[in-house]
Amino acid sequence: MKKKMLSALLSAAMVATLLVGCGSTPAPAEEAAAPAAEEAAPAEKEETPVAEVAANDSGYTGAISYMHFSTSEEAQGNGGSESHRAAIESWIAANPDIDLQQEVLSNDDYKQQIATRAAAGDLPDVFLLQGMNTIAWVEQGLVLDLSDYITSSPYASKYNMDYLVPFTVDGKYYAYPVLTGGTCTVVCYDEAAFKAAGFDSFPTTWEDVEKANEYFKANGYDYTIAFGNSGQWQMNSCFLSCLGYQYTGTEWFSNILSGNGKSAFTDAEFVAALTETQKLFKDTGIFNTDFNAINNEEAREYFLAGDCPAFIGGNWDEAYITENMDGDLVNNLKFAVLPQAADATKYEKFQNIGLGYGIAINTKVAEDPAKLAACIDLAQELTGPVFADYVGANFALGGFCKADFDLSVFDRVKQEFYNFQYVDTKGCEIYDSYVDGSVWSVLNTEIQEMCNGDKDPATVAADTQAAYEAWCK
Amino acid sequence: MYLNSIKPKMRVIVAYLAIPVVVFVFTVFVPLVAALFYSFFDWRGGPNKTFNGFVNYSQLMADATFWASFRHNLFLVVMCIIGQIGIAFILVLMINSKFVRCKGIHRTFGFFPSTISAVCVGFIWTMIYDYKKGLLNALLELAGKGDSAIVWLNEPKIIMWIVTIPLIWQFIGYYMVILLSGVAAIDTEILESAEIDGATAIQRARYIILPLVKNTLIVCTTLCIAGNMKAFDNILVMTSGGPGYSSMVMALYGYKVSFEQNNLGYGSCISVAIFVLALAVIGGSQWLMNYLMTDKYDRAEMKMLKERDKQARERMKALRKAKKGGN
Repeated sequence: MKKKMLSALLSAAMVATLLVGCGSTPAPAEEAAAPAAEEAAPAEKEETPVAEVAANDSGYTGAISYMHFSTSEEAQGNGGSESHRAAIESWIAANPDIDLQQEVLSNDDYKQQIATRAAAGDLPDVFLLQGMNTIAWVEQGLVLDLSDYITSSPYASKYNMDYLVPFTVDGKYYAYPVLTGGTCTVVCYDEAAFKAAGFDSFPTTWEDVEKANEYFKANGYDYTIAFGNSGQWQMNSCFLSCLGYQYTGTEWFSNILSGNGKSAFTDAEFVAALTETQKLFKDTGIFNTDFNAINNEEAREYFLAGDCPAFIGGNWDEAYITENMDGDLVNNLKFAVLPQAADATKYEKFQNIGLGYGIAINTKVAEDPAKLAACIDLAQELTGPVFADYVGANFALGGFCKADFDLSVFDRVKQEFYNFQYVDTKGCEIYDSYVDGSVWSVLNTEIQEMCNGDKDPATVAADTQAAYEAWCK
Repeated sequence: MYLNSIKPKMRVIVAYLAIPVVVFVFTVFVPLVAALFYSFFDWRGGPNKTFNGFVNYSQLMADATFWASFRHNLFLVVMCIIGQIGIAFILVLMINSKFVRCKGIHRTFGFFPSTISAVCVGFIWTMIYDYKKGLLNALLELAGKGDSAIVWLNEPKIIMWIVTIPLIWQFIGYYMVILLSGVAAIDTEILESAEIDGATAIQRARYIILPLVKNTLIVCTTLCIAGNMKAFDNILVMTSGGPGYSSMVMALYGYKVSFEQNNLGYGSCISVAIFVLALAVIGGSQWLMNYLMTDKYDRAEMKMLKERDKQARERMKALRKAKKGGN
């Protein structure tokens, strides 16, 4: 009996320990190519209600299947997702005769499920298309050409047409960019700490960051910038995709996108960007030693815990930091672009921004014109003024459709981040919103080795180019 | 008569058997055949695929990353056979000893880790290996060896050892339970008489227990190889196959090729290769186990028996021939 009691007690203790252990584990890394902004919590102001959607006149009364990743969990503190859900509810209310069958998955699950269903030729009627899949899925005939619907949309004059680039093939548009445009590379820093180090704001050159690093290391910090790359995509999405533009300018990536052969990953300027990346992570001691073993979520905790005075991540990290910061950081949090590399000749205040997902429609839907009209209406409304006004007024964020709202009602951090993303900086493309996963998989994996010093930049560039050429074929 | 009356009709037996057979065919056989079929196509997902013959297979033969992954799987297999089954065998001997109390508790708790999902195990060990707050570096710090603290999950030279330890830890109890059942079947009188004859514990383990649980060991080894040839989840959680490809294993590589690189044709080819290589390794290991478990006297005896069989067959043949000739 005693043995049984002891067994039961020990079992309970072990299960409890395991549950605590599992509960405290970090969530899987987010995909950087998802500029689907995971944004900050609403400012402390009264919430603006979502506007009513006008009922569509398609006459369709059946079901529409819609697959997306704005789960209720993701919507917590995430302006883009919450607004997306609000717009969906509004559309459902305006179209009671249509049965909108939603399949809502977490972002990671969504990517795997949608890829599997695309492979099986069994996509839902309406779904979110990731920019990097556009060309492959268009070639497979899975995605409907929406050019005419987008250009003749009643909201066309309000669209930010630049956001259509990832969903454009041969001049045709295949998706309505959805959710919010958010930066993938932002330096979040503690202004007071840098002032103490002799810099009024975040240094504008990496040499100055190294100088600041000497000061920080001598004054109780372990390093200057926290960064996490265990998921392998972070270095590409949140660093290289921005630093690369300082070396290559804008034309190089446009050539890569068009596949015209005028640019290659082996070009000297891109190799120089890789070399600089390797130097910064391997030799300078600016970054945390374990950058390859932790993800961005763990790295931002280092910053919040005060282990270092700066952090590099995406808009989703900024949202988390804003929501969870305390103490002096509340007054001292500022944002900056990546500093200029010494040998970068095309420097501008680049930050990579875009909408990585768009609402696309299955080609099979075109067989039923009434259903197609209803699907087009759904896509238009979920990316139109109803969504834009709601997300702008409540979260100070912008999407495909421009919105007017009063920025002054938001707090300092929201206003500054809005200006950082949409006003004060030069937007550039997020590399892995385009081209193909086969190319980025090679680059992302090898960069990890490169930053450890186990692979040289020229080899990484050559391997990436080989993958790119294979994809171009 | 009575037995015949309770014996189910053939169609009932077939109907009952059909259920697991259908499940097996659809969950194992169909995917395998489908993978084999798709492996001959250039297929990037979607309805369009182009037949390309053996192009994927020739690509596979030259794919250094795949063969490096295969070597990592072999490393896992060897280390896990030694670590999981070896330690499990020692623990079984210890638990079976008359000096150990609360045997049930040992059995139950030993089995616990194997009930945890591999993803959770991955997260738990990621926390142990964590550079800043991990248990391992904290212990080094406590021992005054703080300088030896490293980023365990970012060390290409030792990363395979690092990801193997959680696997060993997780499944020791699993094999312990299987081996316990094998050891429990050994007649205690044999062990007792060996003890009376002066055999030490090690001698009893080597010359009595080990040969008598040979078949159980073969089952354990087969399960261990099959499990480690498709190792995936905890490595995905801990390193994603990194840094770089340093801890890449075949199943993870196949997953990345299929779903990150959208190359489902080549991904199918990798799946087929995993199946073939796993079969080869299991077959090879079984032969090796049989060879190692049979000592030279047994081998000589088996050879003699085979020779005797052969001679008997020849005699019978000659007898039949003679009989035929006589007729």
